[in-house]
Amino acid sequence: MGVFDYSREALENLKIDDTGVLDRLVDFETARKVHLGKERAKKDKRISLKEAVAEFVQDGDVVMDTGFGYVRTCIQSHFEIMRQEKKNLQMIGAPNTNQSYMIITGAVTYSHNSYIGAEMRGTDRNYTRQLKAGKVKILSEWSHGGVAQGLKAAQLGSPGVLSKQMLASDIIKYNPYLKVMQNPIKKEPDPTVFIPALYPDVTFIHAQAADKYGNAYIYGPTVNDVAGAAASKKVVITAEEIVPESDIRYNKKGVIIPFFYADAVVELPYGALPGSMPGYYYWPRQWWEKLMRLAGPSDENMKDFIDEWIFGTQGPIDFVEKLGGARWMIEARRQTKAAEGDNEDIDFSYQEYKVGSDPGIFF
Amino acid sequence: MTDNAPANPLEILAYIISAQIRDHTIVYVGTGLPMVAGILARFTHAPNITMVYESGGQDPIHGGMPWSVGGPFTWRKSPTIMEMAYSFGQCYNGYVDIAFLGFAQVDMYGNVNTHMIGDNFLLPKARLTGSGGNNDLTSLAENMVLVGLQTPEKFPEKVDFITSVGHLRGGNTRKEAGLLGNGPVAVISQCGVFNFEPVTKRMRVKTLHPGMTFEVAQMCTGFELLKPEGEIPLTPMPSPEIIEILRKKVDPAGVFTSLPSA
Repeated sequence: MGVFDYSREALENLKIDDTGVLDRLVDFETARKVHLGKERAKKDKRISLKEAVAEFVQDGDVVMDTGFGYVRTCIQSHFEIMRQEKKNLQMIGAPNTNQSYMIITGAVTYSHNSYIGAEMRGTDRNYTRQLKAGKVKILSEWSHGGVAQGLKAAQLGSPGVLSKQMLASDIIKYNPYLKVMQNPIKKEPDPTVFIPALYPDVTFIHAQAADKYGNAYIYGPTVNDVAGAAASKKVVITAEEIVPESDIRYNKKGVIIPFFYADAVVELPYGALPGSMPGYYYWPRQWWEKLMRLAGPSDENMKDFIDEWIFGTQGPIDFVEKLGGARWMIEARRQTKAAEGDNEDIDFSYQEYKVGSDPGIFF
Repeated sequence: MTDNAPANPLEILAYIISAQIRDHTIVYVGTGLPMVAGILARFTHAPNITMVYESGGQDPIHGGMPWSVGGPFTWRKSPTIMEMAYSFGQCYNGYVDIAFLGFAQVDMYGNVNTHMIGDNFLLPKARLTGSGGNNDLTSLAENMVLVGLQTPEKFPEKVDFITSVGHLRGGNTRKEAGLLGNGPVAVISQCGVFNFEPVTKRMRVKTLHPGMTFEVAQMCTGFELLKPEGEIPLTPMPSPEIIEILRKKVDPAGVFTSLPSA
């Protein structure tokens, strides 16, 4: 591992005394070494989600939030990480919406923040409360594009990139990894921000399909997942379906994550729940409203909610049952097909969740 | 709401935002009213715009109202979907003409805060979303339009945290800091439309909505607003035809343009 020179101003502002906790995110040497040591043979890498989390997530790891908040995000894998009581994880992502509920149980204790919250569903009051209670420590602040460029730098095979993003903002004062520097090719003043290449420890990516070796097909926004998969020390592919390698080779035109990144492959239908999965299912909007509006306001409500939906379920199959079972599945598929233009348009209106009245089916 | 009811404030805002969009431009939009405005512009005066979203969707065919900038309506049958780094890269490289985003606070120089309220970052009164794509677009876009509610707390002299640099400390400071584009060119609130005085880059009233006075707008502002020379023009209001398009075609379910019921 390298020895790093972090921004002193940011370390002071964030009150980070021991910088050791920052090193693993920018630890290129270890990432390269780990990548060189990975299995090259085309082996059947299929294991269960329980096994994948037990083997590939260590306490203290930097975990990446993949997909986009609740679009093709590996949320069921996050839930398994919580069920196995992994501790002191750092979370990075653009956005990193899904760290919030992981903080209260002690799974995530460090934030590399780009975006907290769930857009139109309301502000994340749980995060504020955990921050004030000292349950989470912010290690760095980013813009979405800053995280995207840091991960992309790793995939490009570069120590970092010079960016115009975040320049002169207060984000720089709260990010130990960033350095403002003159663009070396320009004679006139041209300030830029150096963003180092970012190397998460472990990345779960939920794909529409994968073969047993780990070639993973993604449809819809890939966001930062291809870069994250290239950078990450450990990569677990979870997929709606396991298909033959020939299907990937001949039929799956689009984005493919190559098999040699993958340490494990998990067949995990409904693995993006409670998020949406392009081509497969729409998201249960009322579930998110319940999380933000009922669970969000107090620790007690949050814990009850987590007990019910995360510790009270073993995986996606239980989760589908709780959302409304077969009736939910049929509706969710119709909705996503219509939204993507692969079905006749339908009426997307629904009753927003009201505290105290649970819907029979979470639409 | 019946179809011939007068326009509500959200519908009026959607129209005013849409009026900022010129035809044949590439428009970067966030969720909520900016998205409504973009779609309204397409149905009215700007049918040939291309919409771009930060999760990577771009140029979707028309569908419902997106609930997320990653939702299917942002990439419905898109010819291509960009990775996030490339999506912002298009903005840097000059492929985005105008961008629209919201704010929790905006100051007299158009600097934006979406991070936190309070004076202690580590122990804030309220922690907000953080940047998302707000900083990226404000740093890179050729023209930035900010949209939000106007109160003295939301329009302070100095924001509690600079998430996105507008005109920084006024004058040439934005350019000297190395940022691209013109920065914020308009701020749209329930009071009026504001621009920035060209030399000082301080926020100035451009137009006021009907029924609004400069004095009331000033009372809704935590810093001294600049006044344009002469009489302040009224913000043009949507015609009944435009309101009908908004209600029937753009947001028929009223997801973003119906007022919360009591």
